[in-house]
Amino acid sequence: MTEPTALPWPAGSPGRSGAITDGDLLALTAGGDTAAFSALYDRVSPWVFGLVRRILRNPAQSEEVTQEVMIDVWRTATRYDADRGSAHSWILTIAHRRAVDRVRSEQSSADRTELVGTRSVEVDFDQVADTVSTRLEAEQVRRCLGTLTELQRESIELAYYNGYTYPEVAQRLGAKLPTIKARMRDGLIRLRDCLGTTKGQS
Amino acid sequence: MTEPDVHTLTGPYVLDALPEDERVRFEAHLTECTFCSTEVAELRTAAVKLATQVSTPPPPALKANVMAAINDVRQLPPQVPVVEPGPRVRRFTRRSVLTLAAAALAVAAAGGVAVDQYRDRTAAEHANQQMAAVLAQPDARTVHGTVEGGGQATVVLSTKADKSVVVLRDLPKLPADHTWQLWMMDPANKATSLGLTDGDLTRVINGSTTGMATFGLTIEPTGGSPTPTLPPAALVPLT
Repeated sequence: MTEPTALPWPAGSPGRSGAITDGDLLALTAGGDTAAFSALYDRVSPWVFGLVRRILRNPAQSEEVTQEVMIDVWRTATRYDADRGSAHSWILTIAHRRAVDRVRSEQSSADRTELVGTRSVEVDFDQVADTVSTRLEAEQVRRCLGTLTELQRESIELAYYNGYTYPEVAQRLGAKLPTIKARMRDGLIRLRDCLGTTKGQS
Repeated sequence: MTEPDVHTLTGPYVLDALPEDERVRFEAHLTECTFCSTEVAELRTAAVKLATQVSTPPPPALKANVMAAINDVRQLPPQVPVVEPGPRVRRFTRRSVLTLAAAALAVAAAGGVAVDQYRDRTAAEHANQQMAAVLAQPDARTVHGTVEGGGQATVVLSTKADKSVVVLRDLPKLPADHTWQLWMMDPANKATSLGLTDGDLTRVINGSTTGMATFGLTIEPTGGSPTPTLPPAALVPLT
């Protein structure tokens, strides 16, 4: 991430060793600071848009939902609780749920089953936003996904990138419901351990 | 929820892969399962990293739209009080208190309190956030009771914040000319009305919590009553 040298908000705002974190920007946004929100938008909108676009596919709908998500971030910033997860995690959770809600309300299950046959769940690595830290993080995630079993990875990717419910994933993969539920969980645990993430980190 | 595999739902939950009914039930379970809440937070942090694989900058015009739109969007206040109409205070008789106490039977594990900070779109989700604010209090505790004739009453309360959340679930249907009435009783046997409901509800109560000893639920004629009609349908000690 490129850090601006002159910031439009007080230098004394909370932040470790002077770096302004997404959490700091969100805290300032909660106070009605539109400049902070603008900076936050620049940082997180590629993740939000990329994720929403991946789930919805339709470009116009994806822009609409991305706009809804970012307005929701503005509106509900006051409710963000840093003790319960990073700002990054909070925003992407909102984005994922919005996109999934939209896909489930507007596309029939049959439509989505048909779509999955024609689209790959391979990662679109070329589309990764071109910043060094993002690229490094994306590579780490890709490496960690490679440590999962095939069933773990497919279960997680069909749910996360396609917005499938676990019964839909089970049907798609020809597996039993308890198996898919368990693979989603143990796959995420393996991913968590590989990434070395805890809830306090972004 | 008592299914042996309930804990494995943390995986599908953070992937938003639970069908709606299971999601609602799991969120209720989350309030009672510290292990699950911790795991959800950790797995969510890992799951959102998947977004790095598909990062794509949005069209530049989108930012202008968003920045223009927020000028017209009011930010939510940190906490939203839902104040009930003026409390009416009446005194229980000594005898009625004994009757009430006798009516306090088994305390059942029940409740539908979701504590997920991410949802804020429907009224139910809005209530969830308010409940989360109460639950976040260091002295927050949860008490349960059964309702005579069926259903459960759950109260989450913080005496420090003087707030509570009342959750009523699976209440039996009442005749058209009757209503449920909610009460708080203090140790000196004074009852304060918290309001009326026709059926299941989740309600955040601001005030009427600190110094109270018991939550009560009664069946009253439509419009409510100045004093509780006995016997109560539910009585839940707050300690």
